[in-house]
Amino acid sequence: MMRLEEFILSFSIILISIMIVGNVIAREVFNSGAFYFAYEVSKFAIIIATFMGIAYAARKGRHISMSAFYDFAPMKVRKVMMIVINAVTAIVMFVMAYYTYNFVLFEYNTGAITTSLEVPRYLMAVFIPIGFLTAGIQYIRNTIVNFTAKAKDKVYLGIDAVDYNDQREKDLKMEDISI
Amino acid sequence: MLATLLSIMIILLLLNFPMMIPLILAPVVIMLIYNPNLSMDILMKQLMTGIESPVLLCVPLFIFAADIMTAGKTSQRLLDFVGSFVGHIRGGYAVTTAAACTMFGAISGSTQATVVAIGRPMRERLLKMGYKDSQAMALIVNASDVALLIPPSVGMIIYALAAGSVSVGDLFIAGIIPGVIVFLAFAIYNIIHAKVKNIPLGEKASWKERFVHFRKALLPLGFPIIIVGGIYTGIFTPVEASGISVLYAIILEVLIFKTIKWRELPGISLSTGLVTSAVFILVAGGQLFTWVIGFAGIPRMITEAVLGTDPSALFVLLMVSVFFFVGCMFVDPIVVILVLTPIFAPAAEAAGVDLIHLGIIVTFQAALGSATPPFGVDIFTASAVFNKPYLEVIKSTPPYIVMLIAIGLLLVFFPELSLVLIQD
Amino acid sequence: GGGDGDESEDTGSEDSGSEEESDSGSGEGSEEASGDFESDQWRMVTEELQGEVQFVYAQEFAKRIEEKTGGAITVEALEYGALGSETDQAQLLQQGGVELAVMSPGFTGGQVPDGQIFSMHYLFPTDQEQIHQILKDSEALNTDLRKKYEEHSITPLAYWSEGQMAWTSNTAIKSPSDWEGLNVRVQESPLMRESYDAYGATVQSLSWGELYTALDRETVDAQENPIFFIESASFNEVQDYMMISGHNNYVAMTTANTEWYNGLDDNVKAVVDETVKELQDWVFDEQKKQNEAGLQAIKDEGSTEVIEFDEDQIAEFREAIQPVHEYYREEVEGIDPELFDKLKGEIEEVTGE
Ligand code: NA
Ligand code: NA
Repeated sequence: MMRLEEFILSFSIILISIMIVGNVIAREVFNSGAFYFAYEVSKFAIIIATFMGIAYAARKGRHISMSAFYDFAPMKVRKVMMIVINAVTAIVMFVMAYYTYNFVLFEYNTGAITTSLEVPRYLMAVFIPIGFLTAGIQYIRNTIVNFTAKAKDKVYLGIDAVDYNDQREKDLKMEDISI
Repeated sequence: MLATLLSIMIILLLLNFPMMIPLILAPVVIMLIYNPNLSMDILMKQLMTGIESPVLLCVPLFIFAADIMTAGKTSQRLLDFVGSFVGHIRGGYAVTTAAACTMFGAISGSTQATVVAIGRPMRERLLKMGYKDSQAMALIVNASDVALLIPPSVGMIIYALAAGSVSVGDLFIAGIIPGVIVFLAFAIYNIIHAKVKNIPLGEKASWKERFVHFRKALLPLGFPIIIVGGIYTGIFTPVEASGISVLYAIILEVLIFKTIKWRELPGISLSTGLVTSAVFILVAGGQLFTWVIGFAGIPRMITEAVLGTDPSALFVLLMVSVFFFVGCMFVDPIVVILVLTPIFAPAAEAAGVDLIHLGIIVTFQAALGSATPPFGVDIFTASAVFNKPYLEVIKSTPPYIVMLIAIGLLLVFFPELSLVLIQD
Repeated sequence: GGGDGDESEDTGSEDSGSEEESDSGSGEGSEEASGDFESDQWRMVTEELQGEVQFVYAQEFAKRIEEKTGGAITVEALEYGALGSETDQAQLLQQGGVELAVMSPGFTGGQVPDGQIFSMHYLFPTDQEQIHQILKDSEALNTDLRKKYEEHSITPLAYWSEGQMAWTSNTAIKSPSDWEGLNVRVQESPLMRESYDAYGATVQSLSWGELYTALDRETVDAQENPIFFIESASFNEVQDYMMISGHNNYVAMTTANTEWYNGLDDNVKAVVDETVKELQDWVFDEQKKQNEAGLQAIKDEGSTEVIEFDEDQIAEFREAIQPVHEYYREEVEGIDPELFDKLKGEIEEVTGE
């Protein structure tokens, strides 16, 4: 079963596909502009996917980082680094949630609407603070997991992701994207 | 200010922070220190601006299509078919990868989309052939950048607008020779590399085997035909082609080959969404960074200080190369072209530089910059798509960067390479 | 425009010395300026690139303000790109992040629906001098519409035209029925859908970055833009016809942040008002120069036939679009019918119809 965040992430990608394909078919087959909202809805979906995906990517340890020095550090140092990185990142996420929440209020107060569907623009922005907030919570969980018993001889990048440096012997699968 | 900004970013980067943190934090800190009276809302708005360009939509869609084809049989059948022809040639797969990236770049016009659509299936086969992963990824990331040089290039269209009276059609033609030079350089390098590293050869396939692979690949071969044909006949745009490729992948894998069930699609799109988020949060953060340095007037301040009065044509072109290269290491190429071109074009024109020639230099450096550490956006894409550490992706790029810098200089010193095809 | 090269270098180098203070310049006051003006730095953001109409307008504005204040007040002109999209720039002005902006009325994110009045087809006359006069003198625009913008912290100081919008297409469009079945790419909105529907054409949304190629390959058939921009973006290279149709003009507003403008000293405010007023005639000539140069370049390039509508054709289109004028007045969300009627009356006065 998918969790809510997974469902949202997965659905937004499918939604973009439907919009873009629908627009082509409407134009080329029916010579119609019926999918006039295609790009606007896609914009909506891409914002949702980007920001609602932060927490999910954090859980899976999939955010991009420059691990050059980290990779050479011994396990204890890596663990300390991961704890600090996850904790500080959590703080930054919460600060961003606060700032973007204010931005949503600002959008709400301007009453601005979108050009095609003429819906309030804050509806689009509202996913940004939610995304940062859930990401902040996830990074706290990523911090805590490194203090638990199961992290005794391992470092966790995210609660679902053990540090690849601890798995070197086990011949890491190239594509561990869960399908 | 610039020093503060860069030090914050580099320290956080080296400490293995998620790259979104320096990209987000540095601009926020700068705003708090230098413009405390200005509302943070303006800056936050940029998080949306950065990712709402419709052209970016082809990134998740091509990833989705590639994910479906990788989960199913399409990419395997295509690779078997290609392999039956090039598997026994030294460096054959690497050259095929470079060619596929160049061709796909030509039709999609997007470097990121190329990394995804060609990179995924080709990397798998390169690994099987005995290439090191970093080698495979360096080739993919750099070959994908040729996309910016071969029409229809979004970068050139943006440049033409920013530079004023420049013909997009002429730019498209002028990019052909430089694009071919880059492809040849990569091909030769890879053939030599394969010889030196003694990459094992596959068995030479018989014509009968080739025919079997061809028959199996018949429907998958419809994929490039539909995409290329659809774009060139104008049935759809490159972005729309990414949507159509999702549709075609679903038709093949779900309806015809029945390798994937409908209920498996949400799981595949979930992994697409994960990669999309990891890349796009950086695009959004890059826009914050761009906005702050733009608001502080830094790009213009620096360029005007550097150019001085009455610079020579050669000096302008070299400076253009440096600025676009460095700019695109940090910021999205489209934004760099929009911001820097209007500053450099008048000075270049005054110094006697042909604006088409300038456009080729600009596009070339933008392509090079987006494959160059630390912030090259194609490196992010590869790192996210292949789920590989950043360092692994960039480890084998130096030879490519050196080749590209050399070609860049060649293009500066020999304007004919860009201009010969458009002279009457 | 090549003739403006010298100016751009001048303003540029003065700006670069003052970057560090950014927008908090007014309090510094180290040197008491000449005359009665306290030294200050303003910024004027535009939606166009260097050399294009809005940007040279901003440069000329900067030059004159500096002269009139004896160098005490400097204005930095900012081109499109660095500070985000058009709507971002509008918000920047609303929040006082920049003092001044040149913007088109449509980019306020639907906050002032009446701004759409400028995108209606065949509402304004086709004679450029008459349009110039209406934009300068209209009370509906300069008083009533200004008030509506001021509710959102935007004070339009002047409205001016950047020239006519032209249609480009691969089929010749000489009467409304020639639009039948064509796909046209314009900035998507309900009003635009309704307008082109009246001619039988379909509005298609398409990203700007793909437009050149889409026109080339006939993914879409037509688009609209000001003439100087069509040339700048090279759309003429991939289209066979350009219709100087008189359907519309590209209107820009010189705007100030309302709170900032109202807080200016009287003598400073007087200088701003005076400069904006002077520039109305100046920019009329400037856009004319740029559009004529653009038109000439399109003719020289030679692949595009230019079709200029005559009185009869314009009358025919005007007739076809009438229901959309009604639609705008009655149906479009949030617009003020009285403002529409008033402007229409003022236009009729000028054209003598
Ligand atoms: Na052009
Ligand atoms: Na033409």
